Amino acid sequence: MTDPEIQKTIDSYLAALRKQLRELMEEDARDIVEEIRGHILDKTSGGSSPEQVSATLAALGTPEELAARYRTEELLRRAQLTRSPLVSLRSLLHWATLSFTGIVVFVVSVFGYAVGGALVIFAALKAAFPRATGLWKNVQPDRSWGLSLSFSNGTPPPGQEILGWWVLPIGLLLGTALLLLTFRFGTWMIRKFWRPRALPQPDGPTNLTCVGGA
Amino acid sequence: MVVADSAEKWEIQLRKGSLELAILASLWDGTLYGLEILRHLESSSDLVVVEGTVYPLLNRLRTLGLVASEWVESDSGHPRKYYRLTPAGRQRALEMARVWAQFSASMASLLAPLKKELRKENP
Repeated sequence: MTDPEIQKTIDSYLAALRKQLRELMEEDARDIVEEIRGHILDKTSGGSSPEQVSATLAALGTPEELAARYRTEELLRRAQLTRSPLVSLRSLLHWATLSFTGIVVFVVSVFGYAVGGALVIFAALKAAFPRATGLWKNVQPDRSWGLSLSFSNGTPPPGQEILGWWVLPIGLLLGTALLLLTFRFGTWMIRKFWRPRALPQPDGPTNLTCVGGA
Repeated sequence: MVVADSAEKWEIQLRKGSLELAILASLWDGTLYGLEILRHLESSSDLVVVEGTVYPLLNRLRTLGLVASEWVESDSGHPRKYYRLTPAGRQRALEMARVWAQFSASMASLLAPLKKELRKENP
């Protein structure tokens, strides 16, 4: 391997690492890549042989493994501190790729956010289009009846509107409560059940090796 | 070999758990950059630390506010990220060291009966 080839090996390692860290904040990711670059350069300074470079990169793990350690630490920390449902949901998505519990929590959360969000939007529509938005009870000639939830700009559906204006506060309250509950559920589950042991351990038994010693 | 397997797992957990204290302790006397911390750990203990685990851990200690970091230009042509203990980090290191000392002392007395056997294995 020639010098440009060594450089290419290092560069492609760092580029792969950078790509794997895209979930992190731009500044943090750049910081990490620069630190690892410095480490590799320090390790291989003074006439770097290809073997030396390979050994240095191997000791760091693959870009995927290394990034996973950063990401997991970072997501876990952010998920526990966050007040943003979006960050929480992204962490849950990451968790879903790691374990079955993660998948269940993610699906439940998506459902909770969707229904909660729909209720809030429904309440907002009632405020905007009061005549056409609401809950209608529709009694058929054979005395069977159905409920229809309607929101449109057009004419109200047939039948008797129930709840009326109450749809607004109830939808708003129920929707907000459900959104909050879903958020709390997600962060609580992460805190309670997402432990490092549930995460892949790319470091394996070579994480720390004891040598020598009597 | 279920027994051997679980003993190995236990060992990994034990070493993982102690790495945090080992890093905090290596920063007790001053600022070091990542590779210096690694070399310090290897030279002053019989621990060989896999490099890919130390940098993410340093990153976590930083976000926890136990260490602070600073980029410093160097003669080598590229900047280095130096770490130092924050007051909170110093306090944490001290607490951990205290627990460690107590724990290892009580373990040592518990393990005393096994010592003879160990000496036979490693004369």
